[in-house]
Amino acid sequence: MLSLQRIAQKTAGRRLRQASLQASRWQRGLATATEPYDVVVIGGGPGGYVAAIKAAQLGLRTACVEKRGSLGGTCLNVGCIPSKAMLNNSHIYHQTQHDLKRRGIDVSGVSLNLPTMLEAKDNAVTGLTKGIEFLFKQNKVDYIKGAASFVSPTKVSVELLDGGKTEVETKNFVIATGSEVTPFPGGAIPIDETQIVSSTGALELQKVPEKLVVIGGGIIGLEMGSVWSRLGAEVTVVEFLGAIGGAGIDEEVAKQFQRLLTKQGIKFKLNTKVLSAEKKDGKVFLKAEAAKGGKEESLEADVVLVAIGRRPYVEGLNIEAVGVELDNKGRIIIDDQFNTSVKNIKCIGDVTFGPMLAHKAEEEGIAAAEFLKTGHGHVNYNAIPSVVYTHPEVSWVGKTEQELKAAGVEYSVGKFNFSANSRAKTNLDTDGFVKIIAEKETDKILGVHIIGPNAGEMIAEGVLAIEYGASSEDIARTSHAHPTLSEAFKEAAMAAFSKPIHM
Amino acid sequence: MHPSLRVCSARAHQPLIRFLGKRTYPSTPSTPHAHPAAPAELKKRFEELFSTSEASGSAPVASSGSKVVFAEFWEAPERFWKRDIEDSEIDAILSGGASLY
Repeated sequence: MLSLQRIAQKTAGRRLRQASLQASRWQRGLATATEPYDVVVIGGGPGGYVAAIKAAQLGLRTACVEKRGSLGGTCLNVGCIPSKAMLNNSHIYHQTQHDLKRRGIDVSGVSLNLPTMLEAKDNAVTGLTKGIEFLFKQNKVDYIKGAASFVSPTKVSVELLDGGKTEVETKNFVIATGSEVTPFPGGAIPIDETQIVSSTGALELQKVPEKLVVIGGGIIGLEMGSVWSRLGAEVTVVEFLGAIGGAGIDEEVAKQFQRLLTKQGIKFKLNTKVLSAEKKDGKVFLKAEAAKGGKEESLEADVVLVAIGRRPYVEGLNIEAVGVELDNKGRIIIDDQFNTSVKNIKCIGDVTFGPMLAHKAEEEGIAAAEFLKTGHGHVNYNAIPSVVYTHPEVSWVGKTEQELKAAGVEYSVGKFNFSANSRAKTNLDTDGFVKIIAEKETDKILGVHIIGPNAGEMIAEGVLAIEYGASSEDIARTSHAHPTLSEAFKEAAMAAFSKPIHM
Repeated sequence: MHPSLRVCSARAHQPLIRFLGKRTYPSTPSTPHAHPAAPAELKKRFEELFSTSEASGSAPVASSGSKVVFAEFWEAPERFWKRDIEDSEIDAILSGGASLY
């Protein structure tokens, strides 16, 4: 009995010592730092957390500093993920109300429970952010919750979220602080996140607005406009440019996209400039005029969503103190190995050049970690897809016809409509087409543009084709399962190479 | 996979994908260039921005001279770093050496 007690005491003592060791190991990079990390990633978004995990997998001692209090950045917390939850659930609601009857399903008593829909969105977010914390533990990445500020090129001071301050020393930094919502120019329309909202507030509206005006017809504006339109709001999108969809969208796709969204009830005011907003009697009154100048008009809204873009975020980072250079758009200047102008400080994601996309940041995160370890890495910026998760979805990768014309490249186009695709027919979901652009002389695929069901998933085939330098003939001669939507992709390739069978 | 040439239509198609085997990194780091997504004006100024500054690759690399002096211990090869203490060693210290017997 006595010996059992001794064993128990010894085990308890050992556990206590191990726990205190672990605690000190956690604090190794903090106040009692004695050894620097190999790499400290500032920012725990899709670029930052992926860079941190990859660096740790490559054997580098890694920490990630994040000030939000949860990992995943804008994308997971207030961007791509919650918006997809709302897009999916609002689509189901809308389809149940307006589409099931023609499919032979009679339903009655369908009503919206917005609090539950918002809760489902929040649950998805929480699950995924906690998942990254688990991945950090699994890969032995130290997660430091706090706001980092550069003290020197190898040291940051961190204001810890649970109080206190510490310093973290490292041999290399990766800045991955992301972006923030661009405010309306000149401060003419201040965001209050209740009546005048950014994309963050648009995901938290506690009731469906009667009238929603969206300033900006890019990806975020169209996705959030779709959500609230499906839930019953009267949505008007005001866009300064002459087309919707944002940078990189093919003109033909943009036109079709606008037609389809108009059919769904969304109104568009293109070539229109918003001048100001005034809150009065629980409403917002916007003043707008033609982009090239013209008669002023007034738009009334219950809620206004400002979705005119995002800008790099470096607030509080004190990068000026260590000499990290920015360009005139506030982006951190880097070379093709993600080096900033300061030795041992790399930078990836929204805060630097290139499209502000989570998957682009992820690719850069992996490449940056590989450069740190091996001196080599790879990101193909011509093979970064874009997706708009409306219904129908829109996606693209590579060059548009307009870009190729401007560059004087001769090309051939293969197009296939979903109305001629058997699976789309059976799904009663036939809007849209697949368009493949190939170089005339070599048949190499230069661009893929899709509008239609499942376009967001289907674009992966186009990305792979571009990454591998495939020809349209390569795709055309590859078997695609029947009946699937992907056959439309094959047929478009056949159309680019020779002729499609089913159209 | 390479783009196929549409030389003639009646022939067996052969995708030109090559299987290169497991990739290895070259022994020397690749040379930095302007970022492909950087504005044209900054691409032109690349040399000026990155050669005069302290920018370069990341991990500290010791010079090839016979005598290498490291200002900080972590710049030295890892074998010179403080090693992790094993449980048995901690036990030995805490028990005044008794745990060894």
